[in-house]
Amino acid sequence: MLGFLSPTSTPKGSTHRAPGLWAWIVLSPLLIWLLLFVVAPTLVLTAVSFAERDSLGRIVWNFSVQNYARAFDWVWVKILLDSLYYAFLTTLICLALGYPAAFFIGKAPERWRGFLLLLVMVPFLTSFLIRTYAWINILSKEGFLNSLLISAGVFNEPVAVLYSPFAIVLGLVYNFLPFMILPIYTSVEKLDNGLVEAAHDLGAGPLRAFSQVILPLTRPGIVAGSMLVFVPSIAMFAITTLMGGGTNPTIGEVIFKQFTAGRNQPFGAALGTILLFVFILALWLARTQRERED
Amino acid sequence: MKKINRLLLTLFALGLAVSATAAPTKHLNIYCWSEYIPQPIVDQFSKETGVKVTVENYASNEEMLSKLAAGGGEYDIIQPSEYVIEALVKEKVLHSLDRSKIPNLKNIDPQFLNQAFDPGNKFSVPFMAGTVGIIVNTDLIKDDIRGYADVFKPENKGKIVVLDDAREIVTWALLANGLNINQITDKSLNKIKPTLEQWLPLVKVYDSDSPKTALLNGDVAIGVVWGGEGAILTNKNKKFRWVIPSEGTHLFIDSLAIPKTAKNVENAEAFMNFILRPEISKQISDEFPYLNPNLAARELMSKKQLENPASFPVEEELKKMSLFKDIGTKGSDVEELITTLKAQ
Repeated sequence: MLGFLSPTSTPKGSTHRAPGLWAWIVLSPLLIWLLLFVVAPTLVLTAVSFAERDSLGRIVWNFSVQNYARAFDWVWVKILLDSLYYAFLTTLICLALGYPAAFFIGKAPERWRGFLLLLVMVPFLTSFLIRTYAWINILSKEGFLNSLLISAGVFNEPVAVLYSPFAIVLGLVYNFLPFMILPIYTSVEKLDNGLVEAAHDLGAGPLRAFSQVILPLTRPGIVAGSMLVFVPSIAMFAITTLMGGGTNPTIGEVIFKQFTAGRNQPFGAALGTILLFVFILALWLARTQRERED
Repeated sequence: MKKINRLLLTLFALGLAVSATAAPTKHLNIYCWSEYIPQPIVDQFSKETGVKVTVENYASNEEMLSKLAAGGGEYDIIQPSEYVIEALVKEKVLHSLDRSKIPNLKNIDPQFLNQAFDPGNKFSVPFMAGTVGIIVNTDLIKDDIRGYADVFKPENKGKIVVLDDAREIVTWALLANGLNINQITDKSLNKIKPTLEQWLPLVKVYDSDSPKTALLNGDVAIGVVWGGEGAILTNKNKKFRWVIPSEGTHLFIDSLAIPKTAKNVENAEAFMNFILRPEISKQISDEFPYLNPNLAARELMSKKQLENPASFPVEEELKKMSLFKDIGTKGSDVEELITTLKAQ
């Protein structure tokens, strides 16, 4: 991110009189966007998290750390850990499903790749909520899946698939899988086949070639994909409430409820700020990991 | 470059011409519950009055409250429930209504007027009322269900849907323990905790927006839901039976009010009067079968509509129901109690 903020690295010998200025102008929409919609709200959120509120839920600007003291009660920590667990599981499954898919697309004949990538992105053409409701119709007791299984004679009685932890993970994996496939695909596409062949020529079996050549070379895609899946999965509460039945509160849901029904924006903001630190920690870990490898 | 400049200039001039000739349009900004005011009704009001109406929706009273408290949006009409009106009146943020502009208020059943949350209806007119009760799929549940205690039994584990609303759930537990639903103190919350500890692990689905979905799909067999949702289910299929809990329940009155910051007070009052017209009010009931407080509208409704027990509880049951009072900052504690028990 900091690299963005020092746009003075224009190549030497450029004909512009003020290269720095031009770079700033080109970057300004992005910078303004980041300031308005990332930096400013984060600062407001942090400020609110140290405030109090009145009976209507309006913010009272008295400095207080009580929201943070409360946020470390076991119940909130447990909900955060549960959310992290679901996000971790989702990332793992997305990786297991997405890596082979991305590899297949990346190694497919060039004229097929565009079409295959299009297929990955087709679900985005429909609203996320409509797709989630479609899953509700498929998984419900009188839904498509159950009637199929019963008419095929697999089960005699409908099984409860919807409103379970399984349904939550299914919903999360379904929604975030493309975010895993696309970055890995980019890494796979760039993969030099010559290196893989060299590994084979030097006597590496398929397993060794994969673990010592292909995997390290596609690692940037894996890291990027995992981050793109893991981070939004933590706070994605629409799926846990709609497909999970709301029986396992997640951190996104409890923050939302503190902002609304609880009329306690400061406490919601404190939980949000803590969540933000978890994200930063995750990104920092991924980054140091990468630097160590470089 | 020159060409582009000329083009821009022309566009600019055109824009000026258009804005100069357009008549000053009348506006109305409505901020209401989702799924409560049918769009054809809004369109009809626009057509009759020439007022340009914008509608924004919210999913909970508190969502509206937080936006209003933050000063966001310039709303001319809001649609709060009784306990929120109480809070808004207390904070003096509502506009005092000009009753001469709302003659149709005479259509409203007097028992829904002059309530403690707004004595003399200075600030609000009733829109719809309703209650919360039990809906049973009698194909799947053969037991006689009378109250909350029959719903939250171990044999119904995994078959129950309830409103995803902490205040509601706490209210039922207070009633089951014979406590006052508006006495929300640390003591009363501690007292009902064992009840909730038994109840919540039995619940399969929490849903306030459309609890009927899980019931219709057969994923659950019994629920504690809004009367309007119950009425839709009993209309759809005879297997659904509506029960007013023997331990008691509460009545809600959703009203229309005008915030002091409103810019189009006259249009807002005209809209209130429009909504209170018998044929308009009936149209709302056709789509959202809650307890319609409009007596003139009830005269236009079918016998089937009026006899639906989920929409219209009988008089003696209605008399026993009390209204929610505002609990202010205690809402956060109620939320924490339910979240804690859900997370266990």
